[in-house]
Amino acid sequence: MVKRQRGLTSPSTAKSENPKNASTLPLQSSDDEAPEEVTFEDSRTQALLSMKRALDTARREKELLKEKRRKRQELFREQKKRKFLPADVLEVIEPAAPKKQKSSEDEAEEEQEDEEEDCDELERDHKTTTAKNLKLSHVRKVRGNYIVTTGKEAASSSVQQQAAMDFLQSRLYGPGSCRTTSNELLSLQNKKGRNKSAAVQFVKKDWACKEKAKAEKLKRRWIHKQQVPSS
Amino acid sequence: MGEFRTHRVRFFDYMPSAITAMAYNHDTERVALARASGAVDVFNAADNYFQEKVIPGQDSRAIEAVCWAGERLFSAGLNGEITEYDLQNLKPKYKVEAYGGPIWALSSNSQGNLLAVGCEDGTVKLFEILEHGIQFQRNLDRQKGRIISLSWHPSGSQIAAGMMDMIRIFNVETGHTLHRLLVDRGVGASKSREVVVWSVAFLTDHTIVSGDSAGKVQIWDGLTGMLIRTHLVTKWDVLVLSVSQDESSLVAGTSEGTVVQFQFISPTVDQQDKDWVRTRTFKNHTHDVRALAHTNIAVVSGGMDTQFVVRPLLEKVEKNTQESALRKITFPHRPLVSCAKKAGMLLFPFPDHLELWRLGESDRHGEPGDSLLVKRKPEKLIQLQRKGEEHICCSALSPCGGWLAYSTVSSVRLYRLQYNNSVSIKKVSNLPKVLHSALQLCFSSDSSRLFASTSQSSVIVVDLGHSECKSFHTLKPKSGTRQPTHLLFASEDSRWLAAANTDCEIRIYNLHTLKLHCTVPVYSSCPTAIAIHPTTSNLVIVHADQQIFEFSLVQKQYTDWSRKLQMQGLHPLWLERDTPVTQITFNPQNPNHIIMHDAYMLCIIDQSLPLPEVKTRFYNQMMLKSLPEAERTRHSHAFKMCKNFQHVMFVNLLEDQSLVVVERPLLDICSHLPAPIRQKKFAT
Repeated sequence: MVKRQRGLTSPSTAKSENPKNASTLPLQSSDDEAPEEVTFEDSRTQALLSMKRALDTARREKELLKEKRRKRQELFREQKKRKFLPADVLEVIEPAAPKKQKSSEDEAEEEQEDEEEDCDELERDHKTTTAKNLKLSHVRKVRGNYIVTTGKEAASSSVQQQAAMDFLQSRLYGPGSCRTTSNELLSLQNKKGRNKSAAVQFVKKDWACKEKAKAEKLKRRWIHKQQVPSS
Repeated sequence: MGEFRTHRVRFFDYMPSAITAMAYNHDTERVALARASGAVDVFNAADNYFQEKVIPGQDSRAIEAVCWAGERLFSAGLNGEITEYDLQNLKPKYKVEAYGGPIWALSSNSQGNLLAVGCEDGTVKLFEILEHGIQFQRNLDRQKGRIISLSWHPSGSQIAAGMMDMIRIFNVETGHTLHRLLVDRGVGASKSREVVVWSVAFLTDHTIVSGDSAGKVQIWDGLTGMLIRTHLVTKWDVLVLSVSQDESSLVAGTSEGTVVQFQFISPTVDQQDKDWVRTRTFKNHTHDVRALAHTNIAVVSGGMDTQFVVRPLLEKVEKNTQESALRKITFPHRPLVSCAKKAGMLLFPFPDHLELWRLGESDRHGEPGDSLLVKRKPEKLIQLQRKGEEHICCSALSPCGGWLAYSTVSSVRLYRLQYNNSVSIKKVSNLPKVLHSALQLCFSSDSSRLFASTSQSSVIVVDLGHSECKSFHTLKPKSGTRQPTHLLFASEDSRWLAAANTDCEIRIYNLHTLKLHCTVPVYSSCPTAIAIHPTTSNLVIVHADQQIFEFSLVQKQYTDWSRKLQMQGLHPLWLERDTPVTQITFNPQNPNHIIMHDAYMLCIIDQSLPLPEVKTRFYNQMMLKSLPEAERTRHSHAFKMCKNFQHVMFVNLLEDQSLVVVERPLLDICSHLPAPIRQKKFAT
């Protein structure tokens, strides 16, 4: 820092004092000479500038960190929002009128419209039981203190079972297990067997069903046409 | 022998299910197989490996382990439940939730009073086996990884559990870990993956044998917790281990389809330094071997290629005899397909649906051996999906094609079919309440009655009206045998009903009086097919050991022909067949003929011809064809065998004198199996 200052100042001083110190320039390199004269103003301005720069960088860093923190907070908020049930269902659980509709199923919509129109408790009972009977896999919105549950059994056990089956599948058939196709196995058997024959080709029997049916119909019609003039 | 036009049917897409677990019961000599569809088969190892019982599967019951505890059968699977099976009524008795997540291992101790299950959450749970159920006793210490395999020490005081990367030995009393044995990971690329100890076995001298996913079989000392020896058996996984009862032989099944045997023998003549030495390698499977067991004389194995292989060990049986032959059981030992004889239709059952097909038609002319042109193709008329999660266990189609019935473990459904321009199907809803599940279903020949065999060996006879049930009767046996009835046959004249159960008893009921008529004397082997002749009312029975009997229902004794056959004995080539006869039919035009088939042959027995002696040529049809007419009668014998059709699942004679043969080529089954291991072989 000191060196730079001297470096910075020296050309300026050299510029202003050049005609004066032209003779002393080559003597600057020797150690016997006295250090350069630096005015108090210059050094003060230099010190102030450096302090300001340091403060600036500190401030910028703080702001960057703040920005990062804010963004992360936003992201978490978004994720939390997605995890929760949509706002309308949460609203309804408090005694407020339902506003938005979640599902696109027509029955559910009709049901909700009917619910809004109808105030009869018996009818509401019936409709919520019909909601229960529909095998829906998510929670349906309700009014009052009814409970609607899923038609299927608890999903957690089947999730565990699925995870266990995935583990087994990945250990036996996943990456790292060198597996080949049944086609290859049968073809190798053909190649190495006693009566060597060609590789096995699997033919997909149900290819172009519609075209084949159409061709069959046309063929029958043509045969019929041929027979009619002859009969 | 007459000439028959044959409908050769190959459009039954029967797909057997992979075998995932197996257990052998030394006292009753039964092998229980668990399949990927949730079905459990019980084979009788003493009776020629006949498939005695089939408990139908369920969609969510992914069985990972079966075990016998005395005479009771338990299974546990990835749905987290332990199920006990009712072997009399062929259905699950009850389920107990283990509350540990998916269950990977199940084992009973040698005393038969405790069951240990290894769960996904890392606990080994102990259940007490009570008389009418099981009850949770306690947990052993909970571990951090999942418990994949379990083995009790024969004394019942310690349990070895195989987990990921390690084996733990627990003290059953305290529940704490005694030793922790660390298993090495594989080399190279598999060093980054955890090694799964797929199977452990705990021997009496505290030796532990483990098979893991790096392809090693390792032998550990359970007292000090040290590794004694490692055998690298395969490049892929060792999926299953099994130790013989006397602990002298150990087999390991691999993903390659090989079964490797180790024997506890000494390399020198003296008995001092015995060690586990690798002796034999059996290559009987094309896909992964996932289940293994030691029977008294053989090693039985099963895996993803759905075949049940029996490999007798040559030190226990005599070489080159029937007993020492390798057996592969692929097809079920009961007829799955039903046929409507008068209408020419076939009913194919699948675990989740039924298919009704009408047979095709062709011109009537041709020489023997020709294939005739198909004028009208066979068409699928109806595909009926089942209701609910349980698999279909049996089904039947009436001879006129107007009625269709199927049964699961919890319900029986009957449908009325009508054929105008299109097929219409309507469910019949007023079935009797007592008919809630049937083990076997059968229609009478005039389609007026439905026979269903239910629990406790009783048969329910339902009278059918035009399109609903009119009334029903129950036929109960006098004595209390509880074994399931697996065969039912109603005679053509609707006078007799024959019912055979797995206890080798055959009962005949008189359908006019609805009472028991007589019982056939019990033979030591289980009957695999029964049929009543339409005119002579003789009951023809074929047993699992390939013996044939003929019993006269009118006179209530064996017929002369049957006595003659027994005295002379059957030809050794007939007795050497390893698949059972599953269907017997008769030829209305020739009352001397009995048509029967097994998986690899079709046979017409002519009762008017002499029986073959031991030295006569058994397969003589080709030879007879080459002889002139006059010579033929001198050389022909009663058993006319035809090997034109292979992998036959069903044979029947339709009313218009044409034969229906349903084949299922093994190649078609093989092409739908899951992926096998890729083996790089030289010059391929």
